[in-house]
Amino acid sequence: MKNKISMRQAGILILILIFSNKVLLLPALMFDYVKGDAVISLILIFALEFISVPILLKLKQTFQDQKLYDILQKYLTKYVAKVLYVIFLIFIMLKAILTFSIVYVYFKQQIYQEEFVSIALIAFLPIMNHATISGLKPMARTMELFFFVILCGFLFCLGIAVYTPLSVPDFFVASAGKIFNSIYRYAFAFGDFIFLFMMIEKIDYKKSEEKKIYFYAILGYVLVILLFVLFYAKYEMTSFMHNDALADLLAYSVRFNAIGRLDIIAILTLLFTTIFQMEIFCYAFCDSLINIFPLMDKRYSVAIFDVFFLILYYVFIGNYEIMVDATVTYFPPLGIFIAFVFPILIWIISRIERRKNEKTT
Amino acid sequence: MSYFNVEEKVEEYKKLLNDSVDFSSRIYKKDDQEVSLIFLKSIIDQELLSNAVFLPLQTYEKPLDIDNLQNKILKCAEVKEIKEEKVIDEILNGRVIIFTNFSDKIIAIDLFKFPTRVPTEPPTSPVIQGPREGFVEDIQTNITLIRRRLKTDNLVIKSMEIGTESKNKVAMCYLKDVANDDLVDKVYKKLKSIVINGVVDSYYILSFLEERPDSLFKQVGGAEKPDIVVSKILEGKVAIIVDNSPIVLTIPFIIIEDLQNSNDYYTNHHYSSLIRIMRLIGLLIAILAPGSYLALQIYHYNILPLNFLITIADTTLGLPFTPFLEILFIFLLFQILYEVSLRLPSYLGLATSVVGALILGDTGIKAGLISPPGVIIVALSKIALYTIPEQASQITVLQVVFIILGGALGVMGVTAGLIYLVNYLNKIDSYGTPYLAPYSPRIPADLKDAIITSAPTQMDELPKSFSPKKSKKVEVKKDEE
Repeated sequence: MKNKISMRQAGILILILIFSNKVLLLPALMFDYVKGDAVISLILIFALEFISVPILLKLKQTFQDQKLYDILQKYLTKYVAKVLYVIFLIFIMLKAILTFSIVYVYFKQQIYQEEFVSIALIAFLPIMNHATISGLKPMARTMELFFFVILCGFLFCLGIAVYTPLSVPDFFVASAGKIFNSIYRYAFAFGDFIFLFMMIEKIDYKKSEEKKIYFYAILGYVLVILLFVLFYAKYEMTSFMHNDALADLLAYSVRFNAIGRLDIIAILTLLFTTIFQMEIFCYAFCDSLINIFPLMDKRYSVAIFDVFFLILYYVFIGNYEIMVDATVTYFPPLGIFIAFVFPILIWIISRIERRKNEKTT
Repeated sequence: MSYFNVEEKVEEYKKLLNDSVDFSSRIYKKDDQEVSLIFLKSIIDQELLSNAVFLPLQTYEKPLDIDNLQNKILKCAEVKEIKEEKVIDEILNGRVIIFTNFSDKIIAIDLFKFPTRVPTEPPTSPVIQGPREGFVEDIQTNITLIRRRLKTDNLVIKSMEIGTESKNKVAMCYLKDVANDDLVDKVYKKLKSIVINGVVDSYYILSFLEERPDSLFKQVGGAEKPDIVVSKILEGKVAIIVDNSPIVLTIPFIIIEDLQNSNDYYTNHHYSSLIRIMRLIGLLIAILAPGSYLALQIYHYNILPLNFLITIADTTLGLPFTPFLEILFIFLLFQILYEVSLRLPSYLGLATSVVGALILGDTGIKAGLISPPGVIIVALSKIALYTIPEQASQITVLQVVFIILGGALGVMGVTAGLIYLVNYLNKIDSYGTPYLAPYSPRIPADLKDAIITSAPTQMDELPKSFSPKKSKKVEVKKDEE
């Protein structure tokens, strides 16, 4: 279908987003807070977040090719829709900066020995802008092509970790309250389904292919949970000191030293994943902006993204710790709203619409 | 009653054809009957003219009659009546024109002939096994080569003329029960809309047929062998044969076609898969090797294994150029040698190789101007480029881009460049067919003849990428089942 993405492409898109913010710093942060129970906390978050998948599919079935903005406008008035989209804008921009900051610090330590602010910007910004202007279809197709590379890289990192000394992580160390509190505390790292909700009219929905979305979402969850488990099993009580979980899985792999430095695999996997995530963030930001200001040209919306991104980038890039601290202190309500409350709101709306349709038929 | 003054007609057309040296005429007079023959002797079969036209005219004893002349006397395959405004076009197309003073009809006899070469194996597509015939410059021969392989009434060959000056014949071939109607219409309209003074080769009309003519990547395929073109027609593509060109264009075109080779279909499919994987690796090496080497050498040397790093450090010590300039310099050297070898006569080729390999390469290293790893990387990428010779020009441009990206931004630049490239390719559609199909978007049915190939017995479906009218290659009728 013209300018639409297939169900498989939508699934791959969500899988890439599930990796977002979770494969580098998050395992260490969560371990620091709830120790080995971070895995339980993660499973709980995923279980809650997974509800978004059937909601998303129901919404698509009910409203078919209608835009999310139009649906919100119809049920919650124009002003509420605009406010919600402003919230999305804030969420996307903060998430983009957070993702970029974490990856920036990793790359600076690992492969660029000195400051490389301009290099990172020259490499990332044009490609994000080009992808956004090109549209979702080529972007999703590109992700589809590189999905195999990302998956192989990720599995390679997990596979190598299996061949290093591992111990069973300690579970049920933290209290139930602390585990639930961790869900709130790290909620900002989740809520990735919002991007699919925002692109709902561009998905070429086929009922027979619904399982593809489920498959890729579950695959993403399984891989991230495996990463957490292997990471904690490898580093045990020192897990909180290792800020680059995916790359650190490859460290101390004595058996594979003969091959050379294996972290190039993690570096490339992260590079591909991050570039795709940033493309989605830029696209979603511009799409939201165009919904709020319908007369705005796509190129202007990209320019606005660049300006905001550059300002926040230069503010936070030197204060990376402050950024992470703010994420767990001030942003959790935003994360909770996007990840768990908004899908429920959408579910209520689609339920009302379906009731209405049933009555009329 | 006299209809044409034949002598005046000869003079008139001689003038209209600018007193051309190959203009020729002959006037026969018998009693009061006059017949003039006008033709261009350079493009007609003179032997046939003598035997099939002159001789019967001279030996015919009864009074001449135009219908007799057209149907009985002239012993040629194509004798037709034409209008006077078409006379010049017909003469230029190798026909002999007959004016008489006893009829107002003008007769044209097709005696077109020009020197053609026999279909031989084209130098660009040699095969170890399989057919060796290649297309030639004559459109009729090329149509015959296709017709011989497709003995079906479903084969449609539409002809047209392109070029205001060259008036080239162009034929469009497709299978009416396979090729998508929208595709056929679109190609036909595109061909009809071409306005050009001359078509020297089929590549002259290539960019007119492309939907994004400004793109670096071609969106129309080309083949010099009839077996390749016929296999593409069978898949539901449209072939365009241009007179005076041995290259037949095919539409739509997807990038995977350049990874395929006719050899692949004449050998075991396991071996074909392996070779296609090698070609893909060759393609990646050709595009990415110099840029990645630069990125590693300049920014990420700590990633390199220690022994390799020591080798590089040893060999690059004391070089006057930075790694970036060194690679660019070697690249330039290779490109110059390549251009020279293309243009030099073959007997000088050996001398160029000696100068290139020994003097420039070896002495350059010994003099400390360039390093052996640099030469190896650039040479490897230049050799790898010819695993897919059809894309050589595009890959050369990409090599330069990736050298700049790797040198300026490191591995981040190379990765970003690669994603940008794929994103760009994903924007290209060749007549509705995604350029990177069947991988992006993934079309599972078409993967049987992609990089990993299936056995020919399993390839029973037509490629969905080209939206053919029918899905199966052979549709078994119910009563045959």
